[in-house]
This record gives sequence, C-alpha cells and structure tokens, in this order.
Amino acid sequence: MSKRLGMVIDQERCIGCDACTVACKLENSTTEGWIQVETLNSPQKDVPSGTPPDLWLEFLPKLCNHCSDPPCVEACPNNAIIKTGDGPVILDRENCDGCQACMEACPYNVIQFNQQKGIAEKCNFCNHRLEQGLEPFCLICCEGQAIFFGDSNDPNSVVSRKIAERETFQLKLDAGTGPSVYYCKMKPRRRL
Amino acid sequence: MTEEDNIRTIRTACSQHCGIDACGILAHVKGDRVVKLEPADFPNKIDNRICLRGLSMLDVTYHPDRLKFPMKRVGERGEGKFERISWDEALDTIAGKLKDIAAQHGWKSIGWVLGGPGAGTTKFGAYLRLASLTQSTRVSAWGYGDAGIPCGSRVIFGSQFPYMYLFGEFWQRKFPELLLIWGTNPAEAMPLQTMRKVLDAKEAGAQVIVIDPRFTVTASKADEHLALFPGTDSALALGLMNVIFQKGLHDVDFIRKETNGSFLVRIDTGKFLLGEDIGVKPPKSNMIWDEASNSTAKVKRSTLKTASITGTYDVNGIECKPAFQMLMELAKEYPPEKAAEITGVSADLITKLGEKIGVSKKVVFFTYMGVSRTYHGDICLRGLATVASVTGNVSTSFSSGNIPAVLNWDPFLKAVPGEPSFHRMAILNLYDAVINEKPYPIKALWFAFINFVNQCVDYNKIVNEFYPKLDFIVQTELFMTPSARYADIVLPVCSLLEFSDFVPHPYPYVQLQQKIIEPLYESRSDVNIVAGLAEKLGFGDYFKGGEEGLIDLILDNPTLKGEGATRERLKKGAFLLRALPEGGNFPLRVPTPSKKIEIYADWLSEEGQALPVYLPPIEAPFAKKDAKYPLSYIQGHSRFRTHSSFANVESLLKLNPEPVVDINPIDAQERNISTGDTVTVFNDRARTTLKARVSGTVRPGVVDIMQGWWADQFEEGGVNHLTHDIKNPVQDKIYEPNMNMNDVAVDVIKKEEVK
Repeated sequence: MSKRLGMVIDQERCIGCDACTVACKLENSTTEGWIQVETLNSPQKDVPSGTPPDLWLEFLPKLCNHCSDPPCVEACPNNAIIKTGDGPVILDRENCDGCQACMEACPYNVIQFNQQKGIAEKCNFCNHRLEQGLEPFCLICCEGQAIFFGDSNDPNSVVSRKIAERETFQLKLDAGTGPSVYYCKMKPRRRL
Repeated sequence: MTEEDNIRTIRTACSQHCGIDACGILAHVKGDRVVKLEPADFPNKIDNRICLRGLSMLDVTYHPDRLKFPMKRVGERGEGKFERISWDEALDTIAGKLKDIAAQHGWKSIGWVLGGPGAGTTKFGAYLRLASLTQSTRVSAWGYGDAGIPCGSRVIFGSQFPYMYLFGEFWQRKFPELLLIWGTNPAEAMPLQTMRKVLDAKEAGAQVIVIDPRFTVTASKADEHLALFPGTDSALALGLMNVIFQKGLHDVDFIRKETNGSFLVRIDTGKFLLGEDIGVKPPKSNMIWDEASNSTAKVKRSTLKTASITGTYDVNGIECKPAFQMLMELAKEYPPEKAAEITGVSADLITKLGEKIGVSKKVVFFTYMGVSRTYHGDICLRGLATVASVTGNVSTSFSSGNIPAVLNWDPFLKAVPGEPSFHRMAILNLYDAVINEKPYPIKALWFAFINFVNQCVDYNKIVNEFYPKLDFIVQTELFMTPSARYADIVLPVCSLLEFSDFVPHPYPYVQLQQKIIEPLYESRSDVNIVAGLAEKLGFGDYFKGGEEGLIDLILDNPTLKGEGATRERLKKGAFLLRALPEGGNFPLRVPTPSKKIEIYADWLSEEGQALPVYLPPIEAPFAKKDAKYPLSYIQGHSRFRTHSSFANVESLLKLNPEPVVDINPIDAQERNISTGDTVTVFNDRARTTLKARVSGTVRPGVVDIMQGWWADQFEEGGVNHLTHDIKNPVQDKIYEPNMNMNDVAVDVIKKEEVK
C-alpha cells in the first residue's frame, strides 16, 4: 500500500503557545505562518469558554489538511498545486500568479494570500524537510509535544496509533475532501 | 560545526531569564549572519526544545532599535536625550565618577543592581567579582518577586529553594498519583522543563489539580481548578490540614522521623523545651515525650520512633505540647467552611482535596514564585509545604537520580581569599538606602540585565524620589528601555548570540552558550564591559581571558570539571550529569538546624509565625469590609515575554499587540465595561489606562495585567505604577523582603468616567 502522510495534533497536549506559527514563519519565510492556533468556542484568542466551574481553553492549530481529494489542485489554473504520491499537497510559489482560485475552493480557509508577493501560500508539510528525512518544523518546535506525523496507512506509525487509541475528529468531513490532519480530543475531566 | 551550502551550524544555549528551561539551540550561520535557529539535540532527544521566544531571538539580535554604541545623557534624566561617545570615554567617565564618589562616601555607596541573569552565570559572576574586589554593594535582586519562596523555604527546609523536596522526583519523570500545581502557570512560564512533564504525568495517569486565582492554560489542562483569592494560600493549606487531621490521614511515622513535629514546645514561651530548662545535658538539646517510657527524652533517631506527636505534658511544672499538637490545634480553627469563606474556594472542594491528598499514595506539590508575591507569601509556601510534610509527600531527588551541578562561585563571591568582599543589600531595602540613606547611603548604581523602573514596585516613587537622589547611574542594555532612559551612561550589550557563557540548566544537563557571531555594532558582553572597567580601576588581572577565562573559573568544581564537563567538551553539546544509583531517600537530613523539616519554627514565635498561620494579605480588599479599592490586582506571566524582554519584538507583537487588563464578567458588568473598552485601573498611587478584556481567566474580585509590558506601551501608567514598596520585616529577618506585586488593591472604571 502506498504511503499516506498525515498529522495528528493532540488537544490534550497543545498549550496554545503559537510556537508552531513562529516556527513556520522562520522556516518558510512567510509573513503570517501557515499554521494558526484558534481558541475554540471563544470570541477571542486565549479567552476561556463556558462558566465556572466549567471553563475550557481548547486550542485548535489549523493548517492545510493535505486532502486526499484536494479542491485547490482542481481549482488552480496554473497547475501550481500538486498532490504528491505519499500525501502532501504542494503549492509551488514559483508557479502561482495570485489568482486566488485555490483560496475560494478550499473549504478550510487555510490558504493565505501574501500581499507583499502577490501570491497564494500554504503549508506544504515542510516537504523540503521531508525530502531530507526530517520532520515538519512545527513539530520539532512544538512546546507541548502535541504534534505527530507519519504514514496513516501504516498501522504501526505513531499517527495510526494515536488515531486508534484516542477519540479523534477531523475538520469539515462533510466537505468530502478527505483531510489528512486529525485532532485528538481533550479528555473529560476527572473531578475530585 | 558542519558545513552545507555554506551554512555553518553551531550549538548554543538560550540563557534568557525564563531560567531553567534553557533550550539548546542550533544556530545556522551564513557568512557573518545567523539565518535560522532550531532546537539542538540533547543526549536524550525527548529533551530537545525551543519556545516561541527563543525562535524569535533573531528578531532581538537584528532589531533595528538595538543600542549601537555607548552614550552619555545630555538632557534631563528620563528625557531620552543622549549623545554617542567612545568606549574609552565611557569607561574613563565611569571609572572617574566611581572613584570620586568612593572618595567622598566610600565604595560601599556604590551598588551593582544585578537583575535577572537568567541561566547565564559568568555575566552575573563578573559583576560579583568586581563588587568583591572594590568592596562595594551588591544589590540582591531576589526581592523583586523571588524572595518569598526562599524566605519560606529557609524556615521549613533550611534551603534557599524547596523544589527538590517538593518535586525533585517529578523532574526526574517519576510521576505521582496526584499532582498539585499551586500558584504557578508552567504552561506559559516554564513550558519545556515543567509543563511537558505535567502533560506527561497526566498521560501517565496523574490527576492534576491547579490552585490559582486565574484560569490559566495550565488550569485548562487540570482535572480540577481551585480559584482562590490571591494570598489566601495558607488558609487553604490549613483547611486541607483540618480535613486531613480530622480523618486521621496524616503520616504519623513520617512526622516523627522527618519533621520536628514531636519536639516539645513550651506553652508559656512558644519556644522549644531545651535540655537546660529541665537540667538535661547538653543544654541546647531538643526534647520529646517518649511514649514507651512515658517521660521526656532527648531527640535521637532511636527516641523519635516512639515520640508522641500529640497531647499535653507537664515537664517539671512546665506545660508542653509536641509541635504537631500545636499545628493540629491551629488547623482545627479552619474547618472547610471557614477556609472557604477566606479563600473563595468551596468547602466541598476543600474537603474533597484534603481527603484525596490524604489517601493518595504519592502527591507532588509543584509550586514556583507566583505563590509568594503577596505580603505573607513566605507563609503561603510554608503552608503548602507543611501539607506535603504531614502527609509524607516530601522527598529528595539528589540522593538518587543525577547529581546536581555545583558551580565554583568562590572566585566571584570572594575575589581575594582572606580579604573582605562586597556588602549585600536586598533590592527592596535599596529604596530606603537611596531615598533616606538608611542603613547607609547609596550614591551610584550600575544596572545590569534589569529594567528596574519598569519591573520593580512603585514606578512613580522610583522616578520622583529614588532616581533624583542618585549622583550617578549606569545601565547596560540592548534597547532604550524605560529604565535606560534614566541612566547617565548607557552601554550597549550583546544579544545572546554574540557572547559565551556557561548555562547550568536544564537539569540533568549543563550547557555552553557559545558565541555564534561577533558582537554587532559596538556592543560588548557584560563580562567584557566589566573587564574593561576593572582595567581602569586597577583590577584588570582578575578578568584575564574574558568570558572564557571566567567560564573556566566557574567550571572548576569536582561535580563539573571532575566529571569531564570542561569548556572544550561542552562545545560539542549538552553534558549529562552523572546518575547516582537508586538509593535510600530517608532520612532526608534537610539543612535546617535540627536536620528535620521544621513545621514549627520557634525562632518566629515572637512574631506569631512559628506555625504556618493565615495572615491576610496587606492590601487585599476581599479581607476588608468597605474597601476603598475593591479589586485585587495581580500580574500574570505571558508566553510572549520573559519579564520585560521581547516586549518590543515585532513578530511577537503581531500575535499579542498590546497590554490588556483581564476582568471577570461579573465585575465588568457592575462597571459597564465591555471587551475593547479603554479603562483606567487606579488606586491612590497611580492610574494605568489600557484596553479591557472581559474574561473568565480571572475569578471575580481579581484583575490581571500580564507583567513585562514597557511603560511606554500603555496609554497611561504601567504595570508597576500601581504596586507598593511595603516591606515585610519578618522576611527581612529571615532573608530579605519580597516585592508583593500580587498584593495590590485597585478599582477599574471606563476611561471616559475618569474625573
């Protein structure tokens, strides 16, 4: 079976620190960072939802889902986005003319428009690092060690194990694009 | 060092003032420019780490606002008008000025205010060495928030820090059944060395309880959060002990063997019964009541086994009780309902937590500095440490595990053996020394790695009463901070990519901070600046070899050099300290005079603090009826800064653009305040104007402004305009008084309502 590279982000371990965003900017010379951390169910970042004693801070780092059926690839008139054999969806900045069709097609709103360069940009799973046998840069800079990466078609990979062991969810499954990013849910609290 | 595409990589360590996280960093260098930073390898890769601030270090190093050359003040102090001078002129001016002041007032009147050296050692040591050689005054900076823990720890454990006794094993990844995180937010303040282990412990099955006035990121990971009022921690501790004693869940054997709970206390004086009181030799021996012989006996390992820890005894007509009996009687006054009334935590939760601590096999009490930043913060620490002690949840990592790094501080603390060294002054006592010349006048101050006026209490007092009394002020800095503006001479220092230092963290490793690039502009390292000044003062010989010479000095200790941790070896990577065989942990032999955990400190009986009593915070409005300022103001720590460092870094400002005051929805509604409103936080000392953020982050009755923002980033005022310099004399007696940034009363109104 072919590889299907995917990512698991454990909400139980994500401390919402934004190191992934800063790391992405440094590694990929981006202006915003292609991974952005949201605070769930809250009108503002870093502000808890709910009322005492049921307050929650649940962080959701959002990035390209590297879909198995990526609508951005279809939408791009310049073939600047390709789906690679083992999973990553790569946007080639050199071939982008900034038409933003991909941004409209993406159900996840994770393709950014770089105003300075006039082109679309998004997470490439650090493909340039994968080619060297390295892990994505956000993963190695994650303060909470909440990010896992590997082949979800290999039952022994760390991502497959996490998916098997934990209650997970994926974003907008009804969009039918087959996302490759999984989130492990926060565990229920064991009250005193 | 490896080469690839003309990129060199060099391993260094981040010595920023988060202190113990001390990330190993691999710097990628192209030509003379650092182009990328990434986490460097540790021997155990699970310890590889970096944080968002470390990742932003290039934005500090290449910041356009870096101070580029020495400057002298040409306008009024604080006005910000400076003129470029040469290093020679700067050092000549400083040396001349210091000599003049010393001639008039003595070297004692010259002080070195050394703030947070972080994990760096020799940059701190260099100043100590020069202070020692000149016999001037070293101003200890523990008291700017970090003296409360040492004060409490010195009483109960006899050590500067309680950490190895409370959670040393936790740091070695021996995870407990119950993990209490008390008054600290490691998710933002110590994410790598501590928070990762909290997450690991939870994954390994620990139940996690967070005790904090704020619903922090750490609290969000907890199974239960106890949102107490700031500074009521010792009342909570007494409430927990009430439950524990009521149900008989304390560890009698541990109390007998490891604490002074069995020592007899005279009811008439509150002092320990001594041999001399009843004609027993040696005269200073402590006494217990031996249940086996039904008589008094001297404290010995053998007698402790059958020592009584409860009851009242008549000893030759002197009424005595074991110290533990005294503690039980104190705790009896704090049933959960009363503790609930004081702390704001429900009686039900206090009862359940007390029971849980009592029945759990192993409980770790994790705490840090935040818990101690109220007027009686030292007793808050003693309170929680006493709960740990009476339930047998104290241990030490260093009788097994890896050896601790012991540094050779002697050449810095005492540069010339046999000669007197520097005078030591607590930073909170410095206010009086400068303003009122008590206990002796201070006329000149050198500030290094400290943003004094921004980070210390009572900004207006410093500006209006403190600075004007000084004849001469020097500041070493990377940027024109609010404090640097008040200096007469400002000296540009290197960013941490531009100089070498020794970093004795994170446990169980030590590391070298390596110079990656040459100092930018005309900046110099603190060590080189001190060496230059020492030359002018005739002490140049003591600083030969610069940074590397001092690193070799500090490494000259059997636990480092003897183990092979030489400078050459450290260039290759982090050094893992030797592991000791698993061994017997007990008896602990803590470094108190009695070698026992002192749950009763008879030397504080006159002050009424022999036991961890609950004494209300000094300003806290919740303890007073009809308080003029009804809200309790505290300062949390933000992941975007280490204290006031990084506050001016563009990439971090993008994520966190401006200061806000967090206010609970209940308090906000009463004041008609919504998120985004500009509000004024005020008390009799000052007004601070900024945006409000209405959020459940703070409990009702409490407001929080994250510390570290520079005063000029506020519309009006700043974080420490609101704080006070009230001193706790008991802390002064124990060690040194702490600044109580979390013990401040304020009110908040919308800006347009300010009269």
